[in-house]
Amino acid sequence: MSHRILIIDDEDDIREVAALSLETVAGWDVAVASSGAQGLVRAAEYNPDAILLDVMMPGMDGPSTFRELRKNPLTARIPVLLLTAKVQSNDQRRFADLGVEAVLFKPFDPLTLSAQIAGALGWS
Amino acid sequence: MGSGAQPALADALARLWTKFLPEILERVRVLERAAAALSAGTLGAEECSAAAAAAHKLAGVLGTFGFAQGTALAREAEVAYSADPAVDPAGVARLQQIAREIDEIIRAHG
Repeated sequence: MSHRILIIDDEDDIREVAALSLETVAGWDVAVASSGAQGLVRAAEYNPDAILLDVMMPGMDGPSTFRELRKNPLTARIPVLLLTAKVQSNDQRRFADLGVEAVLFKPFDPLTLSAQIAGALGWS
Repeated sequence: MGSGAQPALADALARLWTKFLPEILERVRVLERAAAALSAGTLGAEECSAAAAAAHKLAGVLGTFGFAQGTALAREAEVAYSADPAVDPAGVARLQQIAREIDEIIRAHG
């Protein structure tokens, strides 16, 4: 089954590899945004099935973007998965406490990223 | 996954690696300059923060392209620069070595 995913990440290389992975391996439709502010607009327009959201971004970071997504009725119910290169356990707990669906880690395997997302969201 | 997905993905990843190689190498240059400044005792807060950010990005991207050792080295550098590295000879030498080894890993696949 095809899904619509929005990737919000300021790093061009990570954003393009993730998009490529989800399109090529899973056949999902992917939209991208390179900042939290752009992501808020794109999420409301695109109405994705899920959002893959980078944690460390200049300006509006991932947690701030997530809180803004939750405030907007158009985006409040879209599942959000955080993507982070932070591996310390206190960071992981802090991110999980935000109320996101899952926390995924960089580096990721492009071959299995879609399976990770599907597994976290209970997509068969 | 479709049977053609894996080779198609590998080909596309190789193209992205080539596309982003200059940007990735520039992050290594940031680590090299920071290590040199640390050695000279001139590493400022801004340059230290830039080195931590560059290391963080390298840690995320290198493993995604299949270079797990590059990620491990970059994480070590990120931790060091995030903690305001002390100017001890062993620490300076290690950070210089990390930048050199990451560069070697990248160039071996460039």
